[in-house]
Amino acid sequence: MAKYTDKIELYDDRGRLFASKVPLEALSPLQNPAIQKIVSFVKQCVTVNLEGIEKALATGELGGKWCIIQGRSLKLDLVKNADSIADSLKKTLQVSKDDDTDVKVLKGGKHLLVKVPAKRLNAGVEYTTGVTSTAAALCCSIVENFKVSIWNADLIHSAVWGRYPQTMEMLGGNVSSLLSVPQQNEGMGYALRNVPCAHIALITKKNAMNAAALSSILEQAAMFEMGDAIGNFERLHLLGLAFQGLNGNNMVYDIVKENAKSGTLGDVVVSTVKRAIADKVIKPMDKLSSGYVPYTTDDLNLWNAYAAAGMLAGTMVTCGSARAMQHTPSVFIYFNDLIERETGLPGVDFGRVAGTGVEMAFFSHSIYGGGNPAVFHGNHIVTRHSKGFTIPCVSAAVALDAGTVIYTPEKISGVVGEVLSEVPELREPLKYVNEAAVSIKGGV
Amino acid sequence: MAGFKPQFYPGKSKVAANRKKYIDPSYKLEKLRTISDDELVKIMGHRVPGEAYKTTHPPLAEMGEPACPIREMVEPTPGAKAGDRIRYIQFTDSVYFAPLTPYMRAWLGHTRYRGVDIGVLSGRVPLEARERDLEKVAKELVETEIFDPARSAVRGATVHGHSLRLDENGLMFDMLKRYVYDNKSGNVVYVKDQIGVPLDTPISVGKPVKEEELRKRTSEFRVDGDPFRKDTELVGFIQRLHMLRTEAGFDPSKVKGI
Repeated sequence: MAKYTDKIELYDDRGRLFASKVPLEALSPLQNPAIQKIVSFVKQCVTVNLEGIEKALATGELGGKWCIIQGRSLKLDLVKNADSIADSLKKTLQVSKDDDTDVKVLKGGKHLLVKVPAKRLNAGVEYTTGVTSTAAALCCSIVENFKVSIWNADLIHSAVWGRYPQTMEMLGGNVSSLLSVPQQNEGMGYALRNVPCAHIALITKKNAMNAAALSSILEQAAMFEMGDAIGNFERLHLLGLAFQGLNGNNMVYDIVKENAKSGTLGDVVVSTVKRAIADKVIKPMDKLSSGYVPYTTDDLNLWNAYAAAGMLAGTMVTCGSARAMQHTPSVFIYFNDLIERETGLPGVDFGRVAGTGVEMAFFSHSIYGGGNPAVFHGNHIVTRHSKGFTIPCVSAAVALDAGTVIYTPEKISGVVGEVLSEVPELREPLKYVNEAAVSIKGGV
Repeated sequence: MAGFKPQFYPGKSKVAANRKKYIDPSYKLEKLRTISDDELVKIMGHRVPGEAYKTTHPPLAEMGEPACPIREMVEPTPGAKAGDRIRYIQFTDSVYFAPLTPYMRAWLGHTRYRGVDIGVLSGRVPLEARERDLEKVAKELVETEIFDPARSAVRGATVHGHSLRLDENGLMFDMLKRYVYDNKSGNVVYVKDQIGVPLDTPISVGKPVKEEELRKRTSEFRVDGDPFRKDTELVGFIQRLHMLRTEAGFDPSKVKGI
């Protein structure tokens, strides 16, 4: 029996109806099998930069840039022999013969996409099993396949693991995953938020709808883990995920379409308010003496979802028309300022997004250092305050940028984004989450 | 939805009405002065007049774009299409009855212009956009009633002065002396560009608007002008908004019938 009576129309990234009257909870990270699969893949999928290992060994530059051990190098043809490395890596990682372990050779052997078996993760409590077991298994495979002596095995370790354990993370290493080490999380449950928007934009191959969807899935799933999306606040987050992240009722797509040719951010605010009035989410109160009419609602959670969807559409129109990512914080502040002044109702996340925008504007415009929006994530010191509603917009903006930043998403993401875009559920989350929601809607 | 008419801003005071008017994009801002395209380009100082626009990436048509439904739908601005660099114009507005407050620049900028990035700081407001789009927007910002040569200024760096006393000619203090008052003509003349590089020839931005006219046009609340607290409708509106934000933070499902 569903807790909530809300029903959602599901659409794809091109505004085509996929299914009607799907219960809201079919999109919940607690129930939707595709979201659970995505979360599992984030833990299980690890990227290996074989070319990077080969280069590190050949030059002796181990454990980070300029960290060269003079006179120590090793010439191993790893890229050429990627297939045999992949075979033995798979065998080493496997728990049983036909489990879900997988190792894919990509880009002619330069990269490997590794899926660590779920059984290994289930046997521990920490998600780092993905990278630790891949790195360790890779060291074993290289030592064995290339008959590396005891005197050179340390080089292999450093080329694979980087400077770890002298550093907290695998600095200069060549095995990575979407998730950072737990010590780099700002608080409890922040792991899924610690994914830079550069990765998200590249994994989804710069499809802004899918970038927003993947970001929203990770952010809102994290809300459950952080203790935010529970009790009185669960529906707030579920509606946000449905309407902002997953284009529920085609709201994001419709509003973008309405303003695609000549709309401003202000026009997007007007479209959002019109939609909320038409859907009877908000209604006018008595006229004030100036003639201004404030609006009221009996469902602030739903109003928040409408505003959040409007804000994503506003980002898409503003950053989309400029083909530039830097406008995101300005959208966060002024979309909310304008919608609050238009209606008298609180903006997205009840003021938290506007506040986040102020900080992000400072840290993304070279005022107090920082970086371009592609380095931001939900765990970032200046963008963690909104509970899941800002980062999907940042990811969409990064996806829409045509090349205006010095540190490009490609440079920031390295091999991670490119390699993980090979996982269909991560690349096209909207499609898979919609399908999964329909498959369970009867049982919710 | 038929019937719906955007209202932009609450409040019953003259200042609130001015804010509403400026934010409303259907209101045509009154043109008070003419600055030629070349003069404006010189004041901003990003390129020499007549020089081709520098680019940050190839034109979109040449580079091709990823398959994305949003890119297919959303029309890029002319500057984005051509791959222009992103450049800025930055304003400082005096606290003494300048036409705009810093926040107003962002509010009206986002309702009137597409693809702009506006940031509000304590004493300055930069507006960034693709270069050719910026030049178009900057023209309206400088030529119309929302700019006053004495109380608003184009300042790219060393912006301080918005809260300092005005000089004997009514001009806002500028440590870089980018502009001077020409006693003969009564005009304010820019002798340096927005970051303080001397100009070859001075550029006049016209006469300062008279005090009583400024007081009519301003969107600033001031205790010695139109005080914010006298606009009880606006005060009530802001208080309600803050109450709703706070109560929703406690439990959004319990905020009903507000």
